[in-house]
Amino acid sequence: MGAQDKPGDMVQGTLDMLVLKTVARGAMHGYAIAEFIQATSNNVLRVEEGALYPALHRLELRGLLASEWGVSENNRRAKYYKLTGAGRKQLTAESEHWNRMTSAIALVMDTA
Amino acid sequence: MLLERLSASWLRAKALIHRRKLDRDLDEELAFHLAMRARKYGDDPAAHRAARRQFGNPTRIRETCRELWTFATLETLWQDLRYAVRTLARTPAFSVVAVLSLALGIGANTALFSLMDVMLLRALPVKNPQELVEFVRATPDGAMMTNLPYPVFEYFRRDRGALSDVFAIGWSRPVLRAGGVSRRASAHEVSGSFFPSLGVQALMGRTFGPDDDRAGAANRVAVISYAFWSRQFGRDPSAVGADVHLSGERFTVVGIMPPEFFGLDRGEVPDLWVPLAVDPDPGEVWVLGRLRPGVSVERARARLEPLFQQALESLRDSFKLSPERERKKFLSQRLLVNRATEGASGVRWSYWEYSSTMKILIGLTGLVLLIACANLANLLMARSAARSREIGIRLALGAGRWRLVRQLMTENLLLALAGGALGLLVAGWGHRLLLGFLVRDPLSVALDFRLDHRLLGFGLALSVATGLLFGLMPAIRATRAGMYRQRGASNLPLAKSLLAIQIGLSMVLLVGAGLAARSLRNLGAADLGLARESLLLMDVRPAAITPQARQQFWMELTRRVSGLPGVRSMALAGDAVFGNGGWNQTVWIDRPGEPAQDAKVSDNLVSPGFFATAGIPILTGREFGERDRENAPLVALVNQTFARRFFGNENPIGKRFGDRGQASSGRYEIVGVVGDAKYGSVREQTRPMVYHPLWQEPPRASFVVHVRTVSEPTALAPSLRREILAIDGEALISEVRTLPQVIRRQLRQDRMFATLASFFALLALALGAIGIYGIVAYRVAQRTAEIGVRMALGAQRGDVLWLIMRETLVLLAAGAAIGVPAALAAARLVKSLLFGLNPWDPPTIAGATAVLFAAGALAGFLPARRAASIEPTLALRSE
Repeated sequence: MGAQDKPGDMVQGTLDMLVLKTVARGAMHGYAIAEFIQATSNNVLRVEEGALYPALHRLELRGLLASEWGVSENNRRAKYYKLTGAGRKQLTAESEHWNRMTSAIALVMDTA
Repeated sequence: MLLERLSASWLRAKALIHRRKLDRDLDEELAFHLAMRARKYGDDPAAHRAARRQFGNPTRIRETCRELWTFATLETLWQDLRYAVRTLARTPAFSVVAVLSLALGIGANTALFSLMDVMLLRALPVKNPQELVEFVRATPDGAMMTNLPYPVFEYFRRDRGALSDVFAIGWSRPVLRAGGVSRRASAHEVSGSFFPSLGVQALMGRTFGPDDDRAGAANRVAVISYAFWSRQFGRDPSAVGADVHLSGERFTVVGIMPPEFFGLDRGEVPDLWVPLAVDPDPGEVWVLGRLRPGVSVERARARLEPLFQQALESLRDSFKLSPERERKKFLSQRLLVNRATEGASGVRWSYWEYSSTMKILIGLTGLVLLIACANLANLLMARSAARSREIGIRLALGAGRWRLVRQLMTENLLLALAGGALGLLVAGWGHRLLLGFLVRDPLSVALDFRLDHRLLGFGLALSVATGLLFGLMPAIRATRAGMYRQRGASNLPLAKSLLAIQIGLSMVLLVGAGLAARSLRNLGAADLGLARESLLLMDVRPAAITPQARQQFWMELTRRVSGLPGVRSMALAGDAVFGNGGWNQTVWIDRPGEPAQDAKVSDNLVSPGFFATAGIPILTGREFGERDRENAPLVALVNQTFARRFFGNENPIGKRFGDRGQASSGRYEIVGVVGDAKYGSVREQTRPMVYHPLWQEPPRASFVVHVRTVSEPTALAPSLRREILAIDGEALISEVRTLPQVIRRQLRQDRMFATLASFFALLALALGAIGIYGIVAYRVAQRTAEIGVRMALGAQRGDVLWLIMRETLVLLAAGAAIGVPAALAAARLVKSLLFGLNPWDPPTIAGATAVLFAAGALAGFLPARRAASIEPTLALRSE
């Protein structure tokens, strides 16, 4: 398919996970997702648009997100994304995986 | 995962339909994002600029997202295809030449392949064809024959170990009497085991079995072929139960075979099958059988060989009169067992007989394909050179190299597939043509010509392989050159050597065509030793049975035909003067004081006036006359070769020989010597021949009537027929022919070879000329500026012309340097086909070279002349 993403500072899989986690709070548009991740991470994780939108569309195509057009807080038409059932399952799986990985890495880092 | 894919495909399919909506949504989504960011920064122009700066390239994001939503590979393929069609349509001459040359190359090869497939590889449509074997006898001198003496079949029937079934097929040409007209039919006399063993069913009615194949069977039955049913009965179902009259006997039709059943020989479908028992003397038959399960061919041979030897031994008596050598030769024959899964070997053997022609044809078509491929490669290379600027620009604009190669390959594959598809059409038409040349009567041949999937695959694989192999290199080269080497000069030496090879191969074909044409002319004009024009031959067989009635018929025929206006002279003969070749005989030549010497000769039975009618000169002695009748002394005429070989310088007149064993050597007295002639075919070596007076033998059932006419012989045929039928309304008149017709039929293969070789040579020449034209035109375009400078510095038109032509001539010389040795090597392979000329025929090679140079020089001259008429000022400005 040839569409390689430039994940910016983040590994692609991680971005997907963060997006899923963010959207789990409720339907959000792309801008809000980017802002939320940046704010929640204390400006450490800056989501680039060049990575965000392809990731959103890919997740939608995989059936993990659903989208619908709604009206934003400033009365503009905006595309809202929300988690599907499959997306929720995927998020659970990825969170568990993530937790296992980080604690494993922490163990090594602390011990060594 | 599968579900994900399905849902993705579904979404993509939806997006494909709402393509506009997808684009609009993407734009809107990104615009919203930008607007929100700008608002965050303060919503003034500076904020918008900052937002955009941070955002990056929106087009790129849009493209990336968009690509996610599409079936990328399919869509680019579709794009490539459309682009390829447009590009190819823009250069129709190039495309047509490329497609046609491929089509001819692929078509010719596929046609030959299909012919081989049909004749050699396809199994018979009968029950378990893999069990079928045929029996062949091998003589000590290495000849192999499928016609076995009938007793071999009788003995093989006693076998209980090797074969589960054995059956015999004899063949006859009975006279079919229908609707007041007599004509020859072809019948297979088959043993009762034939139909049950093959396990085939009749389309209507029934086949026959062992019960019908007994000498005392109550009525004679026949099974007819579908073709015969259509021709003779107009596919009337009441044909079952109808009577047919064959050589005076009544047969009842009991069944009609389906159209796909042809017996065991694809080469010839008989009109009818009759039980073998109706023939009191079957003579020689084909014998085939079914192997028992688990019995190998070798074991079957070992078990049957003793039976075969017993069968031969039972025939020992029939060689009483032959020389000891002949008898030994007969008795030392051995049995061979061949698989007959693909049918009896009639056609296959005629194939092998023709195999040198076939092999040469395969070589020829292979060469044509090679030339077509080289030509295509050249065209593609020249084309990519011409497009190097376009390709360079596209590369510079960021097109991926792989994407460009794919684009170019799409074009090549499109060309190759078009060539392949057209090639299959050419093949369909070509193998019919080939078969027409190869078998005697194409209408009687049951060859199945549906293109099967293997053939289709063969043709397509060939074309795709050609496209890939000869398109990939130019494509890769073209894209490697890039902007900086857009001249494409680096591939010129390669293109030139390819072209030189191509010219060399064309030279081989030209020499082949020249040899074939000259050989054909020699064959057509060969001295036969007789007068071939104004001679009409016909086979006549009266209904009369008794010798007296026959004698009367022949006398009356001679009287009536001689008296016809337009007839200069006429004669009867046992064999036609040319075409059959006479009957092979062993004679014993009388040597006073020594034992008689035996010799192989041909003989013929002729009536007075034969030599004048045939145009064979009497050299010494006398011709046969009225006095050489039944009770007169037995006399003979011999030809020059006979006289020279057996009597040397002695006078042959008065010498004696016999043809009924050693003791008969005094039987005939030689009364004259006639000129040598060809008796069987144009190619044959002259052999010793003896003639006997027709009226000294009991009158035969049929003779060949020879008529020398005053004018066009065929015009006389109707009145001759009328006269003969006036004597006997049931007489069978067949094979009315003239010598040129006989010769033409004999030379069919030579004509095919000459025609195809000339056609292929012309094609190769045309392709070579196109190649030269292409390269020279390209060079001229490339050197426009240089030519301008030269002309500005005072070069004359002639100088420029020479400058360009020199390159063409060097190319042609290189081609000839490759071609002449290759042609000389290849010519040896066609030696067996040539008549009256050496394969290293200097005029042919000189002629081919001249034609090649003429065509090549013309092809080079056109662009050269254009170069010479360049305006220096324009040329200088062209860079």
